[in-house]
Amino acid sequence: MATRMSAAVKPAVLSTSQRHLLDRFTFGVNEAQLTLVRADGGAGPWFSKQWTPSKISDPYGDQVKSWFPRLADSPANAWARVKSGERSGWAYGHDMARYTLGRKMRSRHQVLEVMTDFWSNLLFIPVGEDRSFPWRYDYDRKIRANALTSYRALLRATVTHPAMSGWLNNNSNTKRGINENLGRELLELYTVGRPADYDENDVKNSARLLTGFRVKVFDTYEASYDPSLHWTGPIKVLGFTHANSNADGRAAVNAYLDYLARHPSTAQRVAFRLCQRFISDAPSKTVVSAVAAAYLKHDTSIRPTIAALVAHPEFKSARKRKFRTPTEDVIASARALGLRPTGARGAKPLITHLYYMGSQIGQEQFGWPRPDGFPETGSTWGSPARILRSWDVHYALAGNWWGSTDHVRPSAASSMPTKWPLSIDQLVEHQARVLLGRPSTSAMRLGAASTLNHVGSFKFARASDVSSWAWTVIRATVLNHPEGVLR
Amino acid sequence: MTHDHACDDYGLTRRHFLRNSAALGAAGVATQMFGDVLTATAFGASSASNVLVVVSLRGGADGLSMVVPHAEAAYHAARRNTALQRSQLLVADDTFGLHPAFSPLVKDWTAGRVAALHAIGMPAPNRSHFDAMEALEDADAGSAARIGWLNRLISGLSSAPDVFDGMQIGSPILPTLMTGPAPVVATKQFGDLAGLFTDSATTRARVHSALKKEYSAYGQAVGKAGLEALVLADRANKINKVVEAGPAAGVTYPQYSELGAALQASAGLIKSGVGVRAIAVDAGGWDHHVDLKSRVDRSVKELATCLAMFMKDLGTHAGRVTIVTISEFGRRLQENGSYGVDHGYGNAMMVMGAGVKGGKYYGRWPGLSAGSQVDGDLAVTTDYRSVLSEILRARFSSVDVSKVFPGAKDSPLGFIA
Repeated sequence: MATRMSAAVKPAVLSTSQRHLLDRFTFGVNEAQLTLVRADGGAGPWFSKQWTPSKISDPYGDQVKSWFPRLADSPANAWARVKSGERSGWAYGHDMARYTLGRKMRSRHQVLEVMTDFWSNLLFIPVGEDRSFPWRYDYDRKIRANALTSYRALLRATVTHPAMSGWLNNNSNTKRGINENLGRELLELYTVGRPADYDENDVKNSARLLTGFRVKVFDTYEASYDPSLHWTGPIKVLGFTHANSNADGRAAVNAYLDYLARHPSTAQRVAFRLCQRFISDAPSKTVVSAVAAAYLKHDTSIRPTIAALVAHPEFKSARKRKFRTPTEDVIASARALGLRPTGARGAKPLITHLYYMGSQIGQEQFGWPRPDGFPETGSTWGSPARILRSWDVHYALAGNWWGSTDHVRPSAASSMPTKWPLSIDQLVEHQARVLLGRPSTSAMRLGAASTLNHVGSFKFARASDVSSWAWTVIRATVLNHPEGVLR
Repeated sequence: MTHDHACDDYGLTRRHFLRNSAALGAAGVATQMFGDVLTATAFGASSASNVLVVVSLRGGADGLSMVVPHAEAAYHAARRNTALQRSQLLVADDTFGLHPAFSPLVKDWTAGRVAALHAIGMPAPNRSHFDAMEALEDADAGSAARIGWLNRLISGLSSAPDVFDGMQIGSPILPTLMTGPAPVVATKQFGDLAGLFTDSATTRARVHSALKKEYSAYGQAVGKAGLEALVLADRANKINKVVEAGPAAGVTYPQYSELGAALQASAGLIKSGVGVRAIAVDAGGWDHHVDLKSRVDRSVKELATCLAMFMKDLGTHAGRVTIVTISEFGRRLQENGSYGVDHGYGNAMMVMGAGVKGGKYYGRWPGLSAGSQVDGDLAVTTDYRSVLSEILRARFSSVDVSKVFPGAKDSPLGFIA
């Protein structure tokens, strides 16, 4: 391939501002990603186009679901398999987690995947959890379908979803006995948050309005709405009032969810979390207010909200200021190395190893046990112990030390420059540009050369002279630069 | 019953993982995860120091089911489906009795090593899991700095705290109570902290030297973390070489118990003598909105079994280890529509081990009659910070407790010598 960018001794890198946009709105940059970005005319136009995923063909992302055929099971069938002992709920969860990692690795709809990840963490349900697992894939589908639309649509799609009903016990919240769990978390986590100063009566009313949604948990998991279980009577939560006189309370619930979505406190809360994810751990009040204002002005619409965030000067100055989560680290590193998982059938599929590598560093995809989602603060992942574990995993990925199957791994020669001889220093520089999008450092060059028991000027006459060990050391040394764990 | 109750609520994904990954043959990961547990070998200088182990019962444990006020008519009236009768309880006195699932701890209770405290909590109700945990663990209402009380304890023990003074075991994420300026470590095990190329001293030295140069040049938080990582790796590697896997003879932690695995690793760490002073352990699964009876039964049984094994596992080191359980809030007195209990207020705590004057119930019991409730819940008559202060004064006399819990008032219960 004559046009291969990495064929050059010093491959071109993107401008820092373009690279920054990709660092924050993809799961990792590699040559294939850069080719797509260049075809669109740069990171800016690529980003705009990403908001209409239906117009971008995604052959590899679309295939990922077929790696996990049991995800197509109806909730009743999934439960039947668990009941018969054929499969565990955990196995369904494990499929969900690896399916998600697969999409992050392979999909061309990177902005959609990034936003789906963000909303999934705000409206968080773990995978493989007993009361929700048969519905968890459908829940994911609903989030992905709405991830680029509006928060109002997202709330409607998620709060009364059977997976959420099971997870937060709304399936047993009835007029005969109120269960406050979902009613409270709806206020605290998904919408206005504690600063809105709702009281215990608001919590109770929130729960009352949510009565009537049924899921036959541990039975068939059939979901329905039963008006005879709906609590009727006037409801007041913060500034929301509703007669709620109809036995079918679903219209009232929709009005309530719309009220909450459009509440200024919700705007603040959503804006703050967006800024924490995409800007920094401690975003200024100014930028949070600007993002919240855009959210309210555009009736909770997501694209103009993100546009306001990206346009803010604070976004630009936040380059490399966020720690990647362990999952982001593993995916970004695997993508940078050009690894392409192709399935999950073999004995040791890469996609499964990516899951366990995240776990080894400290995070399993969807493995958080509580409804508040993983912390959005990067400092959570900035401990010395995490850094140590990332160094290990970078080596394992670069050298395929886990012996992963079911993936395509570009040959060393096809990833190297075409003009030889080349020194260790030149190869390190080449890989710093390919893997991290930046020039090498003297410590990188020294580290690679001394680990190989050579000096940096040591020359290889041809690609085949670079041993697999040498290639692993060079690439892992580059990935173990501090920017290997930052975005 | 084919469905599995062990994965409700908070904190049990790893238990699932362990059980199922064994069945799936998941690349040996399950054995890696807790495969490097540490056992007794003296290492380091401060092997005789006292240790505090804080077990956080995440989700809001129901103190009324754990330490049952069986003589209260209001308790039986509010919990028609879920109340326990005196005849079911262990080591009952005229006011309280322990939930029957505490049976593994009865021997320790009778020997005076375990005590129960009641009507403990925060000065004002906070029924949000996340806010309550944050406030409980920060324990410094006057300050905006996010520094946890356990971190302040470690800072108070030495002008230059060691990286192994504070450990979070069982989860690689630091909880608030550990967060702050003193260096602390969160891990599931020590094997994965040993760093690169443990089998070749020469290569390891070269790689580490280049990383040191790289991370000090880069600076910022990541640079600091990288430099500390190199120090940590050398220490963890040495510990790993000194210690061997496995608990003391006759000790069997429950299978597939995340808490058991964490306590087993904690016992190893203490026994290895690296000088740890404070260990935080998370025990999830205490958010009992539904099916209170079966869930509390399961949670208490796991807790009691793990703690009993932990004390046994510590062997001669038990004389310097004090254990306390804490939870973000109690549950409502009134059961809800799902035979569960929603978020409430006053709660019970368990204390055990070194210094504890056990075999007794402590507390200023406010009663559960309508007039003594707070919003329908058990009132708080003892600030949890006072309980913790009492332990720190007895076991860490060099620490200025007023700096660990600024502004907290003392009202000792006399449960520790």
